[in-house]
Amino acid sequence: MFRFAREQSVINVGGVKMGGQPGELPTVLCGTIFYHGHKIVRDEEKGLFDAARAEGLVLRQAELAEETGNPAVLHLFARTGQAFLRYLDFVEKVWNGPLIVDSSDALTRSSMARTATEIGYADRTIYNSISVALTSGEREALQDSDVDSAILLAYNPADGGVDGRIRLLEEGGAGLERGLLPLARDLGMTNLLLDPGVAPLGSGAGSALRFSVVAKARFGLPVGSGMHNAASSWGWLKGRGAAKKCCDAAASALQQLAAGDFVLYGPIENAETVFPVTAMADMMVAEAVRDLEVFPQPGHPIYRLA
Amino acid sequence: MSPGEIFLAREEQVCSRAFPDGWPVVRGDYVVYNPQGHVAVTTLASHIQVQGAAIFGPCKTENLGVEKVVANMISNSNLRYLVVCGAESKGHLPGETFLALNKNGIDDQGRIVGSPGAIPFIQNLTGEAVLRFMRQVEVVDRIGLEDESEINALVLELDRSARAFPEEPFEVVKRKVRPSELRLENGDVCLGCGVRLDASLWTVDREGDHMASNREGA
Repeated sequence: MFRFAREQSVINVGGVKMGGQPGELPTVLCGTIFYHGHKIVRDEEKGLFDAARAEGLVLRQAELAEETGNPAVLHLFARTGQAFLRYLDFVEKVWNGPLIVDSSDALTRSSMARTATEIGYADRTIYNSISVALTSGEREALQDSDVDSAILLAYNPADGGVDGRIRLLEEGGAGLERGLLPLARDLGMTNLLLDPGVAPLGSGAGSALRFSVVAKARFGLPVGSGMHNAASSWGWLKGRGAAKKCCDAAASALQQLAAGDFVLYGPIENAETVFPVTAMADMMVAEAVRDLEVFPQPGHPIYRLA
Repeated sequence: MSPGEIFLAREEQVCSRAFPDGWPVVRGDYVVYNPQGHVAVTTLASHIQVQGAAIFGPCKTENLGVEKVVANMISNSNLRYLVVCGAESKGHLPGETFLALNKNGIDDQGRIVGSPGAIPFIQNLTGEAVLRFMRQVEVVDRIGLEDESEINALVLELDRSARAFPEEPFEVVKRKVRPSELRLENGDVCLGCGVRLDASLWTVDREGDHMASNREGA
């Protein structure tokens, strides 16, 4: 393990800190709920779901966070603005930590930024994401909103390597006239989280790992990813339930070892396996950098579980 | 042999070598029925069992998903139709992207011209591959259609009227990723004990080592 020569910034969203040198802060774990195909959702358009099961999942993630010391973030996916409003009603009752708001639909993402502002959730909301797919409607919504935390998706479809991703952040490309970093700052984002965008295995998943180290070294910003995508899109794992869970959790640990500060670990059901693996990896990293004068912060898994 | 018989014999010959061994060349979530058939079907975000197609399967993304379908189609000259049916994948819009790609192609950055999808780029295929797709394949727009019997009837009708594309299968080669610039003079991540990592290379070196190697290089 290593220490970055450049100072590493720490951001605070809704009381959860992330960033710093590897081994300093526990890895933040973001479990996704109401994702496309989530069995607890009955109607993705309207946002109808099994509230009892959803509550169980959110509370279990929170319990594991408390037990291990790895802070949790609720990654809320919604297909429509209408569904998002229903999900927020539910969230208000069961979760008071940070939220990542996410949709594959740009109009829905815009409405998420507006709604988060209207109901006073902006300071605990992380917008997912600012990317080459950002529409003018989203720019307007972000500019008008109080949301100031965002994931910058560095996926560069015109140049898929590490260099292309870094260029996208700094200068733009793939149709984007400016770099994602200056663009996000102009839109009022002050808490910037970098995500390389993880392609499937065989299409460049591994480059996301090297990106993570390079990006922290160059920008000093928190970095993380949905590395589990590499496992979940791996056809060979189809029908191998236990192996799939192992690979999902191992993918998260790989991101940690590549200096990841946060992990979008996928379906919130996977909390059961991801939290222990992440806590173990955090403890190992903390021990590895102890003589580099990096010290784990209070609440780190090493003080709770070792 | 009459001219007509010669023509038929040539056509049969073309059909018999219209797809390479090991086709489909790109792995994915699909079912292959008959590599000598003329119709491929993408069911977009829907999971539909299609009868009679050469190959069928879902496609949910407007970039990697689309280019996998293109790669598997142009590497089999038998395939002349791509039926795009099923529910569109929200935000990504791969169905609309197939239509745009077939009609307009890509620009010099790989962007699919006219696609309303979120990140509609061809990343791993060459411009020649896209041009071949445009010449070889006709995209049949049935976005939203989920009725199995209607899809099956359409496949049968198209298959009956089609012939193999009169050129060899296109050899799909992945576009090379531009190599990183190699620099060893500066480390930017410290590992202690004078050992450092150049993060752009993931290269660990000890002070002095790289200078020695530079000298050797000179």
